[in-house]
Amino acid sequence: MPGPASKRRVPMSQPGMADPHQLFDDTSSAHSRGYGAQRAPGNLGYPATSASPQAAFLTNPVSDMAVAYGSSLAAQGKELVDKNIDRFIPVSKLKYYFAVDTVYVGKKLGLLIFPYLHQDWEVQYQQDTPVAPRFDVNAPDLYIPVSLSPPAMAFITYVLVAGLALGTQDRFSPDLLGLQASSALAWLTVEVLAILLSLYLVTVNTDLTTIDLVAFLGYKYVGMIGGVLMGLLFGKIGYYLVLGWCCMSIFVFMIRTLRLKILSEAAAEGVPVRGARNQLRMYLTMAVAAAQPLLMYWLTFHLVR
Amino acid sequence: MMQPQQPYTGQIYQPTQTYTPTTSQPFYGNNFEDEPPLLEELGINFDHIWQKTLTVLHPLKVADGSIMNETDLAGPMVFCLAFGATLLLAGKIQFGYVYGISAIGCLGMFCLLNLMSMTGVSFGCVASVLGYCLLPMILLSSFAVIFSLQGMIGVLLTAGIIGWCSFSASKIFISALAMEGQQLLVAYPCALLYGVFALISVF
Repeated sequence: MPGPASKRRVPMSQPGMADPHQLFDDTSSAHSRGYGAQRAPGNLGYPATSASPQAAFLTNPVSDMAVAYGSSLAAQGKELVDKNIDRFIPVSKLKYYFAVDTVYVGKKLGLLIFPYLHQDWEVQYQQDTPVAPRFDVNAPDLYIPVSLSPPAMAFITYVLVAGLALGTQDRFSPDLLGLQASSALAWLTVEVLAILLSLYLVTVNTDLTTIDLVAFLGYKYVGMIGGVLMGLLFGKIGYYLVLGWCCMSIFVFMIRTLRLKILSEAAAEGVPVRGARNQLRMYLTMAVAAAQPLLMYWLTFHLVR
Repeated sequence: MMQPQQPYTGQIYQPTQTYTPTTSQPFYGNNFEDEPPLLEELGINFDHIWQKTLTVLHPLKVADGSIMNETDLAGPMVFCLAFGATLLLAGKIQFGYVYGISAIGCLGMFCLLNLMSMTGVSFGCVASVLGYCLLPMILLSSFAVIFSLQGMIGVLLTAGIIGWCSFSASKIFISALAMEGQQLLVAYPCALLYGVFALISVF
């Protein structure tokens, strides 16, 4: 029977307090008198006349459950995203690549521009096992740890400098920035894929991870930036001079770095080993290193007029 | 619980007040008078906004790390809007680019700071700091309205203002995240971001 059932569904109803002139059952007042004092600080200011049914909605236990469910759903969603991102991009490994400080970056940049004097490119050995890069971040003289921070900054700086160069020639518009960025990124991806493919074809066993490769390939942007800036300041002569210097440096840098990674250990120590496999690897290293100056020229010559 | 039906004494299309608000007044009064003021509920605290603005405007003053504890996006929104408005005065309708670049820049800074610092940061904190430090850029774009920035003076002014923005942003980030020895490393990406804004306002 709906009558007594509805009466039972309204707890704490106090007939004595109900206004005889009311048209409807003010079921909210009994509830909200208890809840109202607690909820007043948190209530959004509903206008007085409509507070009653809405306050009843807020204090409804079903809506409480809905709020709790919604927030737990959000927390679950966040967990899911974190877990899946962790599967594709190992965040803790990435953190290692970004753990740098200013002194390290300075030394690294110096090495990029002037790699000719640096003698010791070997991995530091400690009782016959190579020291993990983790322990070597603070001693870059003996090992060249890879970090993603300078190449990432260099890439974005390149896009910015390209925008600047285009601006001084009155060819700038903001969407050109996006265009430059995506075309440079596309070239980078093509390069990485090509090198990975050739490494696979040559069946070389290296510990060269993809992130390492991206970092190495990103170092050429430093030279490109230098070239374009000099081109802005001093015209074509300055551009060609600085670009030539940076091309040579990056060539030497890449050869010396990749020699450790791609060639076998015997060859890396300077002993020339004649063998078809090692020759192939040497050619591969040379090809990769030679592609860098070509790309540097290709990506910058249209910026300097 | 049905009230005894009382005869309807009003006219058919005129609403009559059939309940007196007086008895319900204590209930509504409880809610209405105890409500906090609207600005406080919205989280807009003008005093804090002013303090943060002063921190940005005095680049040499040491920043207090705790001011960034409440992430407040109202100030940065106003600054972005003001930046777009000054660009509009110079004839460039580029609100979309301003918002897009600030969104991408905030995302990039967020990823970078999370990877570089020991403690993480929240996105709101990054967005708030970067937005506040946009204030000197508004100065630059208002100069661009009056005279063209493509001469030597313009270049120097632009470089100075980019340096100012990124210096204060990195100062606040360093003090909020307690990263030593990395101020230049944090300042450089900030300088890149503000450089993009400067590029839009100069060219």
